[in-house]
Amino acid sequence: MLEKTGIATREQIEKLLPSPGRRAEGPYAVMECFQKIPCNPCSTSCAFHAILPMDDINDIPSVTPDKCTGCGACAAVCPGLAIFIIDESKGGGTGTVTLPYEFRPLPGIGETVKAVNRAGEVVGDAVVTRVLPGKKTKTPLVTIEVPLSLVHEVRFIRCEAHQEEDPSVADTLREIPAPPQTADIGEQDDEVVICRCEGVTLREIRDLIREGYTTVDEIKRISRAGMGPCQARTCGPLIAAEIARMTGEPLGSVAPSAHRAPVKPLPIEFFLGGDTE
Amino acid sequence: MENRRITDHPILDFSEGEVIPFTFDGKPMEGRSGDTIASALHANGVKVLGYHFKTKRPRGFYCAIGNCSSCLMVVNGQSNVRTCTEPLLPGMKVETQIDRGVPDDV
Repeated sequence: MLEKTGIATREQIEKLLPSPGRRAEGPYAVMECFQKIPCNPCSTSCAFHAILPMDDINDIPSVTPDKCTGCGACAAVCPGLAIFIIDESKGGGTGTVTLPYEFRPLPGIGETVKAVNRAGEVVGDAVVTRVLPGKKTKTPLVTIEVPLSLVHEVRFIRCEAHQEEDPSVADTLREIPAPPQTADIGEQDDEVVICRCEGVTLREIRDLIREGYTTVDEIKRISRAGMGPCQARTCGPLIAAEIARMTGEPLGSVAPSAHRAPVKPLPIEFFLGGDTE
Repeated sequence: MENRRITDHPILDFSEGEVIPFTFDGKPMEGRSGDTIASALHANGVKVLGYHFKTKRPRGFYCAIGNCSSCLMVVNGQSNVRTCTEPLLPGMKVETQIDRGVPDDV
């Protein structure tokens, strides 16, 4: 699910939450960081040592809820915008979500905005209660008040008032077609250009695979896909994915095409000894 | 001229920079210091950088990091220059490329 859509499941989120007792006490950080990547600003940003130092820079961050004050320092430094500060202790049936908001213009305090879930769907209204403009890290933090039932759902806001002020922005947003629900090459149209350099379409690639050419190298030599100036940087993985899909082989067993030096196109005078840059 | 440059960005700062004059298909244009050739063209409203040699379909910015070769243009008479990563220099003569390019004087 997460690997395909980028949207964490309810179960994955629940595993990140502190104990009910800690949640009732005050704000806490939730790190919706699920995949190992070389990234550690959160672990070095915490003044309260609530985020354990990482032995390996690829480690997933680990929070000690009892040390976390919910200050938001980590949320402002996370390059993936994956950290949120949740406060369920306010009472009155509402809670607050503090989220990184790298957009202009910033909403105003007291403004009602649309509350958006992880899938980008509007799930209700939210009131902006605090805006930190982000002087040091430049990432502004916006705190919104939402019904308690939505504090683990709402992860972004949409400021529609601002869109209406600028008709060109609103028009552009309306013109953008809905993103495809799948990035699977199998559902792509035959006429899609796969190799942009040589102008080879998906139909030509599929015809060759049907004829029995099932390696990237064979398809490259017959169709020229991958032999243009970009040297298969764009089409190579796409052709391999289509071979894997049509033959039923795992993608990992489809060998990439042969690559030889130079890795970037160079003018011929380079080899003649003129320019050695 | 309409300003197509980002002036208010939440994270990045963009300084005004010095004016760098260049020409695009003979037309005089102005870029700013720090521009690549393609970024200066975009700021001047030029989105079509070339045409595919076979299909003649227009080509513009695609990867913008020097990988895809979608932005190849003729610069100072040299064909196949990756304009998305090539810094803009004063007086550059930039031209639309419509074929595979021709060898310049070696």
